[in-house]
Amino acid sequence: MPIENPFEDPLRFERRVPECAIVIFGANGDLTKRKLLPALYRLAYDRRLSAGFAVAGISRTSMSDDQFRDKMKEAVQQFSDDTHFDEDVWQAFAAGLFYVAGDIADAGLYQRLAARLAEIEKARHTGGNVLFYLSTQPSQYAPAALGLGSAGLGKGNGWRRLIVEKPFGHDLESARELSDNLHQVFAEADVYRIDHYLGKETVQNILAFRFGNGIFEPLWNRRYVNHVQITAAESIGVEGRGAYYQEAGALADMIQNHLLQVMATIAMEPSASFRATSVRDERSKLLRSIRHMTPDEIRQNTVPGQYGPARIGGQDLPGFRQETGVDPQSQTDTYAAATFFVENWRWAGVPFYVRTGKRLPKRVTEIAIEFNRAPLAIFENQDGDGNVPNLLIVRIQPEEGISLKFLSKRPGAGMNLRPVSMDFNYGSSFGERSPSAYETLLLDAIIGDATLYTRQDMVEASWSVVEPIQNVWRQTKFDFPNYPVGSWGPAAADEMLARRGHVWRKP
Amino acid sequence: MGAVLAPERILKELSDLWVSLGKQGDAEHGAGVLRACSMTLVVLAEESDDASALGETLAALMPEHPARTMVVRLRGGAERVLADRVYAQCWMPFGQRRQICCEQVEITASDAALGDLPSVVLPLAVPDLPLMVWCRSARLAVMPEFQAIAAMARKVMLDSGNMPDARAALRRLAAGRNVLLGDLAWTRLTRWREMFSQVFENRAHLDQLPAVEKVLVNFGGNQETSGWYMAAWLHNSLAQAGVHPEVAVEGTAGRPDPLRVQLTGPGLDVTLMRQANRLEVTVNGLSHCTSLSEPSDYLLMREELGIVRSDPVFEAALATAARLV
Repeated sequence: MPIENPFEDPLRFERRVPECAIVIFGANGDLTKRKLLPALYRLAYDRRLSAGFAVAGISRTSMSDDQFRDKMKEAVQQFSDDTHFDEDVWQAFAAGLFYVAGDIADAGLYQRLAARLAEIEKARHTGGNVLFYLSTQPSQYAPAALGLGSAGLGKGNGWRRLIVEKPFGHDLESARELSDNLHQVFAEADVYRIDHYLGKETVQNILAFRFGNGIFEPLWNRRYVNHVQITAAESIGVEGRGAYYQEAGALADMIQNHLLQVMATIAMEPSASFRATSVRDERSKLLRSIRHMTPDEIRQNTVPGQYGPARIGGQDLPGFRQETGVDPQSQTDTYAAATFFVENWRWAGVPFYVRTGKRLPKRVTEIAIEFNRAPLAIFENQDGDGNVPNLLIVRIQPEEGISLKFLSKRPGAGMNLRPVSMDFNYGSSFGERSPSAYETLLLDAIIGDATLYTRQDMVEASWSVVEPIQNVWRQTKFDFPNYPVGSWGPAAADEMLARRGHVWRKP
Repeated sequence: MGAVLAPERILKELSDLWVSLGKQGDAEHGAGVLRACSMTLVVLAEESDDASALGETLAALMPEHPARTMVVRLRGGAERVLADRVYAQCWMPFGQRRQICCEQVEITASDAALGDLPSVVLPLAVPDLPLMVWCRSARLAVMPEFQAIAAMARKVMLDSGNMPDARAALRRLAAGRNVLLGDLAWTRLTRWREMFSQVFENRAHLDQLPAVEKVLVNFGGNQETSGWYMAAWLHNSLAQAGVHPEVAVEGTAGRPDPLRVQLTGPGLDVTLMRQANRLEVTVNGLSHCTSLSEPSDYLLMREELGIVRSDPVFEAALATAARLV
């Protein structure tokens, strides 16, 4: 009896995808319609899913399987921007869509789900493998996991895995409490905490760039790197999510998870292999190496901000406090900037400036690594443009790519230098469409590759860094708003860099 | 147009081309041009081969496999004729101001001048990067001069599906392999093979493999070599699992679907067939449909150019196919 699939051709085939059923809690929600189903349909369209595949959607709304299929068809047609809708592919895909109505708090839901999964396993040959996806309010994560456990769905014929969306708690204690609840049913190895930033091609490419090439790693340390800037700017405001955002804020919404994970990827030590455990160990180690700041250091090295109203292009744009559902006296940070230091031999003394904000001039996420200047300025007239440091810029969105800026002689008489940029653009350098972050991450979870997922110790390490900042900010009354819509944030953030002789890039 | 073609002159023209592109780029966009090159790609095509379609294929390949491309157009004839033209293939990445350009050299050669080609191509190859040969001409592939051209290459890609005698072509390819070989008739099968393999990711199906008694491959149109490759691959894969079923390859003229694969045994019936632009996989009555349009030359070459190393699965399939035919 064969143990391995003899038809494998690793040189040419994409990764192997086992058969499975995906159970989505919150199947009637926005994330399911905008991201999850379009991503799953695209995977089916690209032949990435196994024939033995099914989705069971769960939400409170009463619906038949067919009604659920119609709803999901609409969603796929509406939100699959770059995917051709093929009716036949959809029909084959939709035959694997099922729906179970019920309340997460109702024990009966899990019994009905168990019965439905047994039918699905038989009809769709899903091999008993089940991936549970919690696309619900965070407050329902623990009840859903515990409900699955009570019905015996945490174990079965095949593997059982659980995907959890951020936020993973709202502070260190709640993050631990959530993990404890999940672990009552699922082992940590089977819990996949999704951070869609890590699924982006360029973030993955950081690993390829750093550890697939020999020429960059020798420069990747305090001796050559002057400082690092990580920017995640959004041009939009809270877009009707004011009530939610008011509770979260930029620091918890972006820095605690996405940006610290990106920072860990850019600064981690090389892992011994590309296995999930090895890569995540290094990422975790880096997060644990970030210096925890004292209250005084926090006041020096962090800047909260909140946007105020402004008139742009003849249009009056509201400030955060004028947004629907927001307290007119709100102290919520819509902008957060921080200077972090990594306490290890590689990075000691190198500032990592991290900023994020809403209503900034443009939507851009990038990492800029500024290298030290040449030790001796041997060229005359080396001022202005001729004196800029080397920069390596990793663009995550909107145009994923990598640029290296260096000096070159301006053609003609005299030794005048000017910066030139060498660009690698993902979209143009590879003609192929890049998979969306959700396609990548869902496929990884089905395959059982947790490399791009966040582990409990990483979540806790991030909260350990961020929580003291939150505490100081909560105890301080800020003079908000402190930056107008369309600007690059509060003046205090510029001053924070200026104290070390640095300037924020304007991407 | 003359019988002598000096590589040094072409290199000088290439260099001038970059200077002119640089000036043009500065004037138009203020950001210059970026030269990209990851290989030398020599394309051998008949003069009657659709030049614009070939141009489009090469243009599509350049962003992913930027190359100094030499398109050799074969015009037949006994007169010793070699001529050349140098130009650039450029594209502007979305959202960028600077163009990225690759060099292209077009050489026109008569049959009588084919023997001179290696001495022209070799000096023009980019140092330290692999030289790849894509032979689109079935006629040239069997000419003795082709061996000298192929010998320069790290990898030679051709399409046995275009060759008049499929069985002879497979035997010839299997016999003479001094360089890495890519056959687009095999590349066309990748998605098929992948779907087939996915069926056996299911443990229950995998456990039924020893029961397989018959493998039937039907082919139509010019898919004969692909049909033999498929049969050979299935034969090898099953043998690796200790299964030795009867393998049959049947040609059916005028079939609407160019390829159909069926694997049967007690309790197991797996069929793959194309319906229009979709591939239908049926396992014990349960059907699964995915998109599978006819792969273009661009897609086939894109895959082959990405593999610059030995390909053991292909090599074994070719050896078996040559034995089965």
